[in-house]
Amino acid sequence: MLVLGIETSCDETSSALVADGRLMLSNIIATQLDLHQKYGGVVPEIAARRHTELIGYVIKEALDSAGKILADVEAIAVTAKQGLVGSLLVGVAAAKSLSYSLRIPLIGVHHIEGHIFANLLSNPQIPMPHVCLTVSGGHTMLVYVHDYCQYELLGSTLDDAAGEAFDKIAKFLDLGFPGGPVIDKLATRGNRKAFNFPRPMLRANTLDFSFSGLKTAIINAFKHKIADGEVLPLEDIAASFQEAVVDVLVAKTLRVALQRKASVISVTGGVSANRRLREVFLDICQQEGINVFFPELSLCTDNAAMIAAAGYARLKQGKTDDLNLDVIPNIPLEVQGGS
Amino acid sequence: MKVLGIDTSGYANAIGVVDGNRILADFTFEARKDSLEKIVANIDFALKEANLTLEDIQGFGVGLGPGSWTGIRVGVTVAKILAFSANKPVSGVPTLEVLAYNARNIPGVICPIINAGAGDTVYAAFYRTRDGTVSRTGEYYVGDIQGLSEIIKEPTAFVGAESQSYCRLISQALGSPNIALEAVEGVPRGATVALLAAIRLEHGENDDVLSLAPLYLKESTAKAFVNRYSRSAQAKSQV
Repeated sequence: MLVLGIETSCDETSSALVADGRLMLSNIIATQLDLHQKYGGVVPEIAARRHTELIGYVIKEALDSAGKILADVEAIAVTAKQGLVGSLLVGVAAAKSLSYSLRIPLIGVHHIEGHIFANLLSNPQIPMPHVCLTVSGGHTMLVYVHDYCQYELLGSTLDDAAGEAFDKIAKFLDLGFPGGPVIDKLATRGNRKAFNFPRPMLRANTLDFSFSGLKTAIINAFKHKIADGEVLPLEDIAASFQEAVVDVLVAKTLRVALQRKASVISVTGGVSANRRLREVFLDICQQEGINVFFPELSLCTDNAAMIAAAGYARLKQGKTDDLNLDVIPNIPLEVQGGS
Repeated sequence: MKVLGIDTSGYANAIGVVDGNRILADFTFEARKDSLEKIVANIDFALKEANLTLEDIQGFGVGLGPGSWTGIRVGVTVAKILAFSANKPVSGVPTLEVLAYNARNIPGVICPIINAGAGDTVYAAFYRTRDGTVSRTGEYYVGDIQGLSEIIKEPTAFVGAESQSYCRLISQALGSPNIALEAVEGVPRGATVALLAAIRLEHGENDDVLSLAPLYLKESTAKAFVNRYSRSAQAKSQV
């Protein structure tokens, strides 16, 4: 079954064709990064305008590059939950138009559910159940994946998302936007133990996260030096900051895996592209006899292939939507398959 | 030529179908919180009421705005993706022209006015009747009513949902009894969009299906958004 996916929840306009939830035939991602860079973050109105300009092109390109035509498409999956409302509305309007015109099922997908499926698309051998850490610039969540479309939310950030902390530190150090790749790169040349930054809520008896205090600690430690025109040891700051974030993410995920006696961890979302995070997870999981999986790099950040894969799974369970499908910018991932 | 026209620039769903000069359907659904999510379902409703299917439609028209930025994005996206999917032509019609068409039988200057939703800013333009339809005579206007009144030199008919109050304000601003002003009530109708789109399409004035974009008339206030926007605001209420 051929599913066309559409994802416009933030600043990537994306469309993809996925066969049977497994085989990715195309995954077109038009990034708007250049438009938002000068503002140091995603500007919602600019994002929504760009989605409207690009949406038709990415759908056509997803079809063309897969060698398919619209008549081959058997269902439309679209991100309808979690994201910027103006951006979501564009993708959902396009999805409804296609579903109506082609008379094929429409499936609304939660953006986070999409990220969970990104890793399943990359690594079909990931078994059920498993522990999933999904972490990006917009969210940080620990999820117990009981089965396809059956989730238990175990923990989530109480303030900044992990990727957002990367963005804010990069902005503070004048390194540009987004912060993830540049800090990852700088950190390879820095000393991870140069600064002992706080590991927020590392030992707390909760699976929730907090990264706002870490950000503030770094800003307070260096703002006077910046004001005095001192040259900062950027590599060391990047490496030490990154190590603090990685420590917390890995420790909490591992704690859940051990509690639940899980043999598999899935790490997904934009931050799962971070090289140090992958390295530490691989090391520790090897020691503990746990298999850890990461998506291929093109599936870490927002993309429509993961939405098509999640949509296929929902369709198999009869979870389709009608033309009144709501756009909900802010709603928890549904738990235990409840709808 | 059967043309489906939609306009969501004012959050309401205006949907109409014409066949040449004949109106086959013309519905306006009140603006509600979820209006934009209902546009495709309402198109289905309107077509069914007119005993038509989407396959009967030979072209699509859409009100490009100006108006609600979110609204015109949804309208333009629906129109162009329906056209792309059905492999039919599409034509965008400025919503100000759709409004001006309501006053096409009035001689003299026609000035549609749309509330820009920010303070006392309005979108406006000037049209004259020509060949049974209307044609724009100058640039689009974005600004306050005082500024608009300063460029009014001839008898003018104002059109729009709030034309009465705008007409009164402009009359006060002008303070001159020599210029005859009148107000014509009107909202953008789907059938009018369809009719004006049909005229364009019959003249081969199709818009490009993939690149069709709304008529915002204002740059996004990007900087104002930066400080207000925090990606974590969404994550905070996750649990």
